[in-house]
Amino acid sequence: MANLALRNLARNRRRTLLSVGIVALGCALSLVVLGFVERSRSLIQETTVLQFGNLQIADPDLLDGKAEGFGYLISPSTRERVEGLVRAEAGVKGTTVQLSLSGLLAVRRTTAVVRAVGVVPENGVLDYNDLVVEGRGLRPGDVGAVLVGQTLAEELGLRVGDFVNLTATTVAGAFNVSPLEVVGLFRFSSAEVERSQVFVPLEFAQLLLATDGVDRIVVRLDRLARTWSAARAIGRRLASAGIPLAVRTWDVLSPFYRGLSGFFDLLFGFLIAAVFVLVFFVVLQILTLSFLERTREIGTIRALGTRRREVFRLFLQEGFWLGTIGGAVGALAGIALALLFNAAGIPWQPPGTVQPVTLGVDFTGAVVLVPLVVSVLSTLLSAILPAYQATRVSVVDALRAV
Amino acid sequence: MAQAGFCYVSGAPVLEAQRLTKVYPMGQEQVRALDRVDFTALQGDFAVINGPSGSGKTTLLNLLALIDRPSEGEVLFEGQPTSRLSEGELALIRRAKIGLVFQTFNLIPVLSAAENVEYPLLLTKTPRRERKERVAAILAEVGLAGFERRRPDELSGGQRQRVALARALVTQPRAVLADEPTANLDSATGKQIMELLQGLNRDHCVTFLVVTHDPAVIPYAQRVLTIRDGRLQGEERRGEPGTP
Repeated sequence: MANLALRNLARNRRRTLLSVGIVALGCALSLVVLGFVERSRSLIQETTVLQFGNLQIADPDLLDGKAEGFGYLISPSTRERVEGLVRAEAGVKGTTVQLSLSGLLAVRRTTAVVRAVGVVPENGVLDYNDLVVEGRGLRPGDVGAVLVGQTLAEELGLRVGDFVNLTATTVAGAFNVSPLEVVGLFRFSSAEVERSQVFVPLEFAQLLLATDGVDRIVVRLDRLARTWSAARAIGRRLASAGIPLAVRTWDVLSPFYRGLSGFFDLLFGFLIAAVFVLVFFVVLQILTLSFLERTREIGTIRALGTRRREVFRLFLQEGFWLGTIGGAVGALAGIALALLFNAAGIPWQPPGTVQPVTLGVDFTGAVVLVPLVVSVLSTLLSAILPAYQATRVSVVDALRAV
Repeated sequence: MAQAGFCYVSGAPVLEAQRLTKVYPMGQEQVRALDRVDFTALQGDFAVINGPSGSGKTTLLNLLALIDRPSEGEVLFEGQPTSRLSEGELALIRRAKIGLVFQTFNLIPVLSAAENVEYPLLLTKTPRRERKERVAAILAEVGLAGFERRRPDELSGGQRQRVALARALVTQPRAVLADEPTANLDSATGKQIMELLQGLNRDHCVTFLVVTHDPAVIPYAQRVLTIRDGRLQGEERRGEPGTP
């Protein structure tokens, strides 16, 4: 029967080539676009991890935005215990800490409410200085230095070398104010962050709040894929040690990535659905024509004793072969197109980064397999109606067909 | 069974029509294509059903071939009533025990002569080696050795009908039913085909039932039944098959 199905496809070569071509085109285009989306997604993943780390460990209320007072601060002794537990986990490249505070940034007669993130300069885990587009980054030994987002700098009329005052409330509830020199301007993936966030040295943040604590421990791992298993393992270690801190992964921490990833998923789904519908209707039309042309032949094979389900299977096999051949040709063509695209080396600067990256197409298993499987499934589904018609026709009527 | 070139009929009924009636709706009217036909074909019979166009002979053949169902009456195959059998059960009988020959040959155009003949054996799941042997033997018997790889469009009308005959016989059926097997052939080729049918009937002892309006076919028959307006008008027994 498989042989007969293939021969039937070969009987009208032009029509079969047309349908194989359409299946192949759909498969190739979706492979390239899906591969492109996957590469873009992975570039943005890498960028996001550079900004947030793979994991952040902090008080659950702080991570959920429900913290009040300074009860969320992690003391030096707890920090040391947590870092010890984290380093025991496989694949951990390093850790750093942050301390964020809300304050009032004043320059001349203008003020802005900001979130100042106290970071360890050149910590080897997160490179905030990578975001700097003007001036310089923070350096070890800096205390009274600040990196300001480009949007905020424009709004306040700030330039590199200007001085600002940052006012905040200490953990004891007193007001504290300290001057800072704007050493650099940075860009970020979100305009909101650029408008409301500044980076200061950790030491400055601790002095301003009058504390030796930090609010989060940032963890970098050797591989992105290890993120979620490491988060679970570290969470278990913390719980066993009785430390009431929570672990969050980078994808949860970055609203920008969550939004973009959702958009990519939508694009992925839309494209696959479009290919599915295109292939479905084209193959449906072709197999319906084929059924009408072969009605008498169907009558003959039914008269010879071919059962209805065997005729049904014959048509399904024709759909399967159309999908498989078209899908395979499409996958090969798509890979060839993608290799050409990768060889072209088109540069792109992801939002919130300074260093441009090279656009390309990733060949993950899903990128190659999903369009292929969709091609086969859609041709199989489109074969169902003509296959059903072929089984319902009366043998005598079919034998009379011209 | 085959002795001295003749098939000695055992008398066992292979196909029986009992008060077989077929009515077709045609607008408001009901057209009675067959009207209470009784008929029995015995093993080894070579029967011709003769009648003009529209007399109901093809309808009768379709019912006896189990590809159509009667409005009333019953078809018995080897004594077994068939009216209550499912489509699938009827298909199983057809593939194993009934050979069909059509007026327009009805070969599958994408398959070679050998593959066309092999097709029913694929349905009966005959082992590959046996399939090949049986196909080669039957093609040789119908005079088509050397034509195995030819597609139907590379064969003459007579050769195509020989392939169709080989396809009908390859499963070693109990009955071969042929609908106007000479209608699309010239008279010389038609004569060759009828001689072949007669020889196969003798050699295989298979029941042959041929419907035709071609008078040249009648001399080959052992039994000649005449049908008119859906009713069997009479039967002429001609004894053992003879040559015209």
